[in-house]
Amino acid sequence: MAIIEAAGLRKVFRSVERRPGIGGAVAALFSRNYVEKVAVDDVSFTLQPGELVGYIGPNGAGKSTTIKMLTGILVPSGGTLRVAGIVPHENRMANAANIGVVFGQRSQLYWDLPLRESFELLRSIYDVPRERYLENMRHFAEILDLERFLSTPVRQLSLGERMRGDFAAAMLHDPQIVYLDEPTIGLDVVAKEAIREFIASVNRDRGTTVILTTHDLADVERLSRRIILIDEGTVIYDGPLERLREEYGTHRTLVVTLLESPAEIEVPGAEVESREMNVVRLRFNRRELTAEALIRRVTERYEISDVSIIEPDVESIVRRIYLEGYHEGAVGAPS
Amino acid sequence: MSTALAGAPRRPRFRLEPYVQFAQKAMAREATYRFDVFTTIASVLVRVYLLRMVWVALYTRNPAPKELPLHAIITYSTVALLMGLVMDIDQTRALHDKLHDGSIATDFMKPINVPLYLFADGSGEVLFHAALIVPSLLLALFIVHIDVPPASVLLAFFVSFVLGYLVGFCVNFILNMIAFWTLEIHAARLIVTWVTDLFGGEIIPLVIFPAFLQRIAFGLPFAAMFSTPLLIYVRVIGPGRYLEAIGLQVFWLAVLALVATVMWRAGANRVVVQGG
Repeated sequence: MAIIEAAGLRKVFRSVERRPGIGGAVAALFSRNYVEKVAVDDVSFTLQPGELVGYIGPNGAGKSTTIKMLTGILVPSGGTLRVAGIVPHENRMANAANIGVVFGQRSQLYWDLPLRESFELLRSIYDVPRERYLENMRHFAEILDLERFLSTPVRQLSLGERMRGDFAAAMLHDPQIVYLDEPTIGLDVVAKEAIREFIASVNRDRGTTVILTTHDLADVERLSRRIILIDEGTVIYDGPLERLREEYGTHRTLVVTLLESPAEIEVPGAEVESREMNVVRLRFNRRELTAEALIRRVTERYEISDVSIIEPDVESIVRRIYLEGYHEGAVGAPS
Repeated sequence: MSTALAGAPRRPRFRLEPYVQFAQKAMAREATYRFDVFTTIASVLVRVYLLRMVWVALYTRNPAPKELPLHAIITYSTVALLMGLVMDIDQTRALHDKLHDGSIATDFMKPINVPLYLFADGSGEVLFHAALIVPSLLLALFIVHIDVPPASVLLAFFVSFVLGYLVGFCVNFILNMIAFWTLEIHAARLIVTWVTDLFGGEIIPLVIFPAFLQRIAFGLPFAAMFSTPLLIYVRVIGPGRYLEAIGLQVFWLAVLALVATVMWRAGANRVVVQGG
């Protein structure tokens, strides 16, 4: 049974159009022109319990608007939505008890209180049984290394500490579903890894369903098997990350270190992407040429000391899809 | 099939505990600003002293109004200043701030009644400051002599004070809710402060206003905040008129609570439709 069902979800905002300058500002006091902005046009997807999905899209694609509708704080303009059997905006309180939310840009902790007291408050809000609370706290304190700053007021925490606190706060009541909106934004590599590990363990050990929106595609590569790509308010891809890589990751890069430094480098079937001293990067389509064949062609022409192959990363694939649009079964035409 | 398994969405049972906690945390938060406690008490004492001087000067040059002889008006001013310790707090300022920075969204994502949360948080802050009334009162007694009425009057005063606080909460809440539509409420706040100062009876007892101003002032809800409890304290409103005076406070409380409810629905609806 699906835990989240969204069908034809749509959200249109109406805002006041302002003409520029002081004249425009004065005119806006008396007469207003409204402009409609379609934030989410047509989004449908189904999630099974325990799935971990990357919800990806460029800025303004409608990611956050979708999340807000899922949490029940935004009423859809059209379409249907059910989260754990509940229509979120019709049953905000009941829905809220089922979900946990983390926003990278905004904390749900209480600013003036020590971290521990924020947790106490959340325990009471979500009515978490005392033993369950203590057990979760012990568990989270261990994985997220919270012990050191449990007594520090939230406003004095570093971003990394605060995020770890926010994660524990979102998971304290054992929600069935968590929404993570840019959870690793602004964090250093170590903190990012700690957060990713936490997300993975929660999904794995507790079977929590996770929707993760992020700009950092390394999060997605590390965590999710399925991704939903959204652009201009519509889902343009929904499926395994692997398939996207298959279809779009057609170009690999062969990095060759040459023994000498010839003036011109030319290898049939590959294009020189860049060259620094005698390190040359050759881009080639794996459907047209195997790596082995390319290496043979290179060694026929030049003396080399080292080779390596770089696989396409999700980042470059997604960038390409944003630019070109997604086409089902796209055969990697060179861009 | 899916609906059968999920069952009808249950509405979480109401529990008071989180709101008690909100109030406690708000008290703890206020207690961290310890320096503020001393400056607040000091400023009350200075104002008690200055107001006494003003009233003494005014009364020696003018005939005293029969309702309020000098000692009564000094009592009135002193009690008003002490009430101000809790009444002048902007309890729901948090709402304005949350609307401003958009953090209201995280409150809506929790299974809490948001207005009740704001009330609990504001009242926690108020209760902390209410604790300052006792030391301020004791110190004020050194500076001025005030009348202490019999227990029955004090009881009526207390009931009226609580109602006045609730009316003040509604006025404050309504004011901060304007931010749902305009985000900026500076001008509205200035106007409300000014009107409350003038027509609430905190600074000047309404009974010494000229007749036409009295008609306006007693026809407004602000009189229910300060004037009613204070006039009960100084016994201008006698036991025979308690029912009428307190009834009027209840009436204003009902009206303002209704306005606040309607505004909250509209404002919250705006947030969920327009995304804040």
